[in-house]
Amino acid sequence: MAVAIMRARQQCQEAGFDVSTSCRVATAVSELARNIVKYAGQGEIILLRVSAPRGAGIEIRAQDQGPGITDIEKAMEDRYSTGRTLGLGLPGVRRLMDDFDIKTEPGAGTRVTIRKWL
Amino acid sequence: MDSATNRTNMCSGLGADELMTLYRIDEGDLQRIREYGKIMAPKLGEMIEEFYIWLRQQPEYARFFSDPDKEASVRKLQHIFWRHFFEAEVDDEYIRSRRSVGEAHARIGLSLQSYFAAVNHFLVMINDTYYDGSQGGPQHGATVSSVSKLVHLDTSLAVETFSALINRQLSEQSRAMMEMSTPVTALWNDILMLPVVGIIDSRRAQDVMTAMLSRIAETRSTVIILDISGVAVVDTAVANHLIKITKATSLMGCECIISGVSPAIAQTIVELGIDVGNVKTTATLQDALTQAFRQTGIVLSSQ
Repeated sequence: MAVAIMRARQQCQEAGFDVSTSCRVATAVSELARNIVKYAGQGEIILLRVSAPRGAGIEIRAQDQGPGITDIEKAMEDRYSTGRTLGLGLPGVRRLMDDFDIKTEPGAGTRVTIRKWL
Repeated sequence: MDSATNRTNMCSGLGADELMTLYRIDEGDLQRIREYGKIMAPKLGEMIEEFYIWLRQQPEYARFFSDPDKEASVRKLQHIFWRHFFEAEVDDEYIRSRRSVGEAHARIGLSLQSYFAAVNHFLVMINDTYYDGSQGGPQHGATVSSVSKLVHLDTSLAVETFSALINRQLSEQSRAMMEMSTPVTALWNDILMLPVVGIIDSRRAQDVMTAMLSRIAETRSTVIILDISGVAVVDTAVANHLIKITKATSLMGCECIISGVSPAIAQTIVELGIDVGNVKTTATLQDALTQAFRQTGIVLSSQ
């Protein structure tokens, strides 16, 4: 987890993001990594530099083969948690990033893809 | 966190039968090894002799065999090891003994490189140098394959134990580091301080809280400064821990000031949507200290 956070911050700085944006991305990675450790036990986080017509950016995919999320709409609401936490992780990540996409199926795992553009 | 250590223990539960299947060793292989053992067993002493001639040329030799008794006892164990190998009774006892070989090598700090080189040296002697040519070509080919499979199984067990041991040391070290990293210091009468550095997980948060509360009880301090300028990220979980810590300290009559909140962290916390409630925070440690002085009625004057 520590490695994922540090790599994310490093990649952001290399990509040319300022300190506070790098901090947002690193925090988003931390949220997703924690979710994997807490709910799925194990999974992976992939950091990618991406480019699109609108410019360059960084993409993070966090995926696991864990139990999945039963009620995704609720999970995206503020202050909803099944794990006695603040319940701000996923909606918070959405606010921190530019693009947010989540695919999940009960029993088949979860994949969150997030992007931040320069 | 803990997931890395769990992963490395993946294969350690396998018993003899499962390992035989994994390494595609069947009764025919074992039979061939026993048969070959009749040629090899009388030559084991000679082989070990030759092995030590090679070993003495290795740079690591002097480090491990400074005492001649040591070499004698290791030679004896090697003899037993290979006799055991050519008896080819692969049962749970056999597996256990192979694992303990790995552990013994890891404990003395032998490199995996040297371990593999030594195994390889024996393999060459067994399959090649000490073979008397008494088997037919195809038969010897099959024997070489069977011997290799069992040598690989043996080596894998040693290596697996090696890495399990090293992982255990790593997690012990990180645990030790975490324990060292909750230094609650008395800054002034009634004022305590604790700097937190790195990544905070639940266990670490718990350690921090316990360390803080027990020092508060001990010193009856009324202000504690928790400096987070060295914390990598403040995500919702960390924020939750910090909120809980401040609640717990205030229950003990001690106010907690969180210092070192950088502009980046402040913005991130707002965007995450965390309500910090009445948690007292400051940008710098200096601000926190000034507040603490004010609160405890300490006036600094310069002359």
